[in-house]
Amino acid sequence: MQGGSTGIGYGLKYQARCIADVKADTDHTSFIAGTLSLKEENEVHLIRFSSGGTELVCEGLFSHPNEIWDLSSCPFDQRIFSTVFSSGETYGAAIWQIPELYGELNSPQLEHIGSLDALNSKIKCTLWWPSGRHDKLISIDEQNLYLWSLDTLKKTAQVQSQESAGMLPYLSGGAWDPHDVNSIASTCESSIQFWDLRTMKKTNSIEHAHIRNVDYDTKKKYVLVTAEDESGIHIWDLRMHKIPSLELPGHSHWTWAVRCNPEYDGLILSAGTDSAVNLWLASPPRTDDLSSESLVESPTMQVDPLLNSYSDYEDSVYGLAWSSREPWIFASVSYDGRVVVESVKPHLPKK
Amino acid sequence: MEVEDAPLDDKAKRMRDLLSSFYSADPPPSMPANASSKYATLDTINTTSFDADQYMNLLVQKSSLEGLLQRHVEMAAEIKNLDTDLQMLVYENYNKFISATETIKRMKNNIVGMESNMEQLLEKIMSVQSRSDGVNTSLFEQREHIEKLHRTRNLLRKVQFIYDLPSRLGKCIKSEAYADAVRFYTGAMPIFKAYGDSSFQDCKRASEEAVAIIIKNLQGKLFSDSESIQARNEAAMLLKQLDFPVDSLKAKLLEKLEQFLDNIQLESGDISNALVDHDEPSKQGKFPVSVPSAAHEASTHEFVEAIRAYRMIFPDSEQQLIKLAQDLVTKQFKATQEQIKRQIRSADLLEMLRVIWTDVLLMDEVLPEAALSDFSLEAARVAVKQYIDTTFSHLLHNVSDALTKVQCRPKEGVEEEYSLQSSLEASKKAVTEGSTDVLQDFRQLLDDNTGLLVKLRDLIIDWVQEGFQDFFRKLDDHFLLLSGKTNSTGQDQGLTEGTQKDKVLSGLDLVLAQLSVFIEQSGIPRITEASDSSVFKNSIEIAASFSGGGVRGYEYGPAFVPAEICRIFRSAGEKFLHLYIKVRTQKISVLSRKRFTTPNWVKHKEPREVHMFVDLFLQELEAIGTEVKQILPQGLHRKHRRTDSNGSTNSSRSNPLRDDKILRSNTQRARSQLLETHLAKLFKQKMEIFTKVEHTQESVGTTIVKLCLKSLQEFVRLQTFNRSGFQQIQLDIQFLRTTLKETVEDEAAIDFLLDEVIVAAAERCLDPIPLEPPILDKLIQAKLAKTSEQSPSSS
Repeated sequence: MQGGSTGIGYGLKYQARCIADVKADTDHTSFIAGTLSLKEENEVHLIRFSSGGTELVCEGLFSHPNEIWDLSSCPFDQRIFSTVFSSGETYGAAIWQIPELYGELNSPQLEHIGSLDALNSKIKCTLWWPSGRHDKLISIDEQNLYLWSLDTLKKTAQVQSQESAGMLPYLSGGAWDPHDVNSIASTCESSIQFWDLRTMKKTNSIEHAHIRNVDYDTKKKYVLVTAEDESGIHIWDLRMHKIPSLELPGHSHWTWAVRCNPEYDGLILSAGTDSAVNLWLASPPRTDDLSSESLVESPTMQVDPLLNSYSDYEDSVYGLAWSSREPWIFASVSYDGRVVVESVKPHLPKK
Repeated sequence: MEVEDAPLDDKAKRMRDLLSSFYSADPPPSMPANASSKYATLDTINTTSFDADQYMNLLVQKSSLEGLLQRHVEMAAEIKNLDTDLQMLVYENYNKFISATETIKRMKNNIVGMESNMEQLLEKIMSVQSRSDGVNTSLFEQREHIEKLHRTRNLLRKVQFIYDLPSRLGKCIKSEAYADAVRFYTGAMPIFKAYGDSSFQDCKRASEEAVAIIIKNLQGKLFSDSESIQARNEAAMLLKQLDFPVDSLKAKLLEKLEQFLDNIQLESGDISNALVDHDEPSKQGKFPVSVPSAAHEASTHEFVEAIRAYRMIFPDSEQQLIKLAQDLVTKQFKATQEQIKRQIRSADLLEMLRVIWTDVLLMDEVLPEAALSDFSLEAARVAVKQYIDTTFSHLLHNVSDALTKVQCRPKEGVEEEYSLQSSLEASKKAVTEGSTDVLQDFRQLLDDNTGLLVKLRDLIIDWVQEGFQDFFRKLDDHFLLLSGKTNSTGQDQGLTEGTQKDKVLSGLDLVLAQLSVFIEQSGIPRITEASDSSVFKNSIEIAASFSGGGVRGYEYGPAFVPAEICRIFRSAGEKFLHLYIKVRTQKISVLSRKRFTTPNWVKHKEPREVHMFVDLFLQELEAIGTEVKQILPQGLHRKHRRTDSNGSTNSSRSNPLRDDKILRSNTQRARSQLLETHLAKLFKQKMEIFTKVEHTQESVGTTIVKLCLKSLQEFVRLQTFNRSGFQQIQLDIQFLRTTLKETVEDEAAIDFLLDEVIVAAAERCLDPIPLEPPILDKLIQAKLAKTSEQSPSSS
């Protein structure tokens, strides 16, 4: 309700789950979103935030063969992105390139650069090398972890290494550590697992149930944020992974997605199935007076970490992305296909 | 008189002047030496510089004739006067001169013949002296002899005394005149020292034996309590005079005293035991308590007497006595603390403190230097503080005991129905009764007039307040701990948390929630009230500190602030309620997740019956229902329910619409369906699904159902269905619709959510053709019949 009017809306034609920030576009703040429609022809929307900051402009509209379950943009080439899609029974993942001069074509087709499906297992997500020009890609399916090497010129993608996570429980997603490019985190039903990409071996794991989404803090090393179905948001210090260093209440229903702000410390966005996006300021308790503070509910602990709740959505919010160019702007997409871009500027902590 | 006086004075003055001028040539200083003619007055007549002519002129000039005549008369009189005076003077002086010459003449005659007399006298004195010398020399020899004899006699008398000493000592012993005996013995001591080894050996031995007896007797006297203090004191003095090691004696005595103390100690221990033993009977009468305490009093009296005596006997033993007395007090307090550890009632504590205080007062009288009252005040402060602390910890313990019983009993397996409610009741009781009891106890402490406690009253009040504050804080922490959701990150709980949470009966959360609400709503007001009333019984000053949180409170940390506690527990109540809901929904989520992730929905077979999942789901809800019914009150929402049923008619009006829509969508394509969903949503008011949870059966139940249905929707959205899969979902949900309606509060919202699930399934269906209503009905009826068949048999 509050802040409902501040958002700038944009309607996708169909239902949608995913939106991503186009990191490589340094001139504009733009997002890319894909629709999720079982029976219709799905689309990928390239949306640009107008320089005045007043409207969202559709910069490109491309048809995509299947419904899109996950989408991520290439960090070094704004025209390249990857999608995870399914057509009813089968799942697949592919890397696409937006054709040049797409504005002049009537119905431009996406250029298919490479497909990432190695096995016929349910693929869950793709992860790009965190930053810079690097041809490595990770794909996570229910049982395996693949490291791909991509050749954009030859338009091929090859499996570089692969590791099976075992049959059960199924992997559900993951995140690439921006501080240590050799390490990624993957989630499954009962735990978070950490992998070393050099050896493709599991290095560590946090036993914790029902993790829906995971994101690394881009500013602070060793900090991982997870979103869980019922139990809200947990912030972990990877050096002591027995218990979370901080808990946030999350949403009134499931917390679906969680994103750390790339610029502001401790600023976390979460999207939930209660049709709301919450903005949190997580000030992790300083370790020295941790014990005393947890025993006595000191006034500092009682500061509400919830900065704002954006609830101007009609349906569950699944897609969430910070803009890396203007880190006070985020885009969200709810299931009914509505993209909302908001600025968190009024809620930023004063410094 | 004055008139007569003045001429007399004048006369005298003139006389003096005349005399002085006669004896000395000095002029009278009153007049200036050369009074010049110009300033000359009539007064100058008496000065040396008197000029008769000038005076005459002046007089003639100034005075009238009459005046002159009068002056003349006056002057003639004066002159006559002066003449007679002069004559008198001459005559008197002459007289004196004559008598002086006569005296001198007589003296000359007397002095002749004196010298010869003097010489005669000297001669006589010389002869007297020579004679006395002669007498002296003649008597010297005899006197020397007499003196010698006298000395011998004295010596002999002394020897006699020494020889008599043993028998004399014996006599003294017989007559118990120890003081004399000691005096005799000490008198003889130097002789024994000098000649003891030779001539008086026997004598010395005998007297030493006698003295040994004396010492023994004296010791006996010293040790015997029956003797009077003076006697004992005397004995001690005498022993000291006999060079007996009194210090060791003293040490011995003190040791004895100490032993005595131990005895007292044991007795007092008995008393406290008796107090505890007689805890129950003492309610009928004070008799069993008073007997041992009387005994104790007697022994204390004895002790005090002893102290008094020892103080008299050994004036320098004060320090040790003080130490002993303090020891006694500390021991008593130790015993008290032991008792406190065993959880006693305040009456007993009071009794013990009173006993100690009377003891202390008694001892204080005897030993004011020991500052026993201060000392014991310190100790009492510690004891009372401990008492308050332990009382609160016991209270906490009791409450948690009452709570943890819930945990244990269901594990035994049987009476779950009974356990939750009973444990709630028990813990409620534990909290209120426990705290009122505690308060009552403390009130007793406050009401008591024992000097100790009066002094401590303010402190006690503070402690009690702090104690309550602390107690409730701890209770809150403890609740958190019990619910398995601890904030303390330092421990290893995180690892086990997941598993623990399942093990901890979720009902406990509910109990905790309700208990928190209870504490907030009635517990704390009651306690505050009670403490207030207890305060008013005391004094206004205390009242201010007790109810208001106290001015003092700020210095010593937070006193009891009911509002803060209320706030803590309100939030705790909500927290636990949410926790309960969370745990419950999580459980159902696991069910649903299995349900939706295991089958291959794309290759689903045609629905034959309502899926088992629905049964499980309903079972869970039922379990929740029973738990909730035990603990939470029924909401006051009957009225609301009616309005809700209005809402439900609304929704039932919209339901056919929705059904229509689904029916129509049989033939239509999905796109228009989607459009229609959006349209429907537009027209339908945005449903507030996630409302605030209240502490009522209905609210909690409904919230859980809502959350679960929403989860179902989300799960459905993640799948892709074929027609049969969709139909299965449709069937399941339709069945749920009929059954859920009976149980939940907010029908409209539930309806909406159920619809949403179906819509979501339809959206995710490749071929969304719903079941024909007749078939749907048939299957549901079959299921209903089956469950109604089962339920009587099961119940």
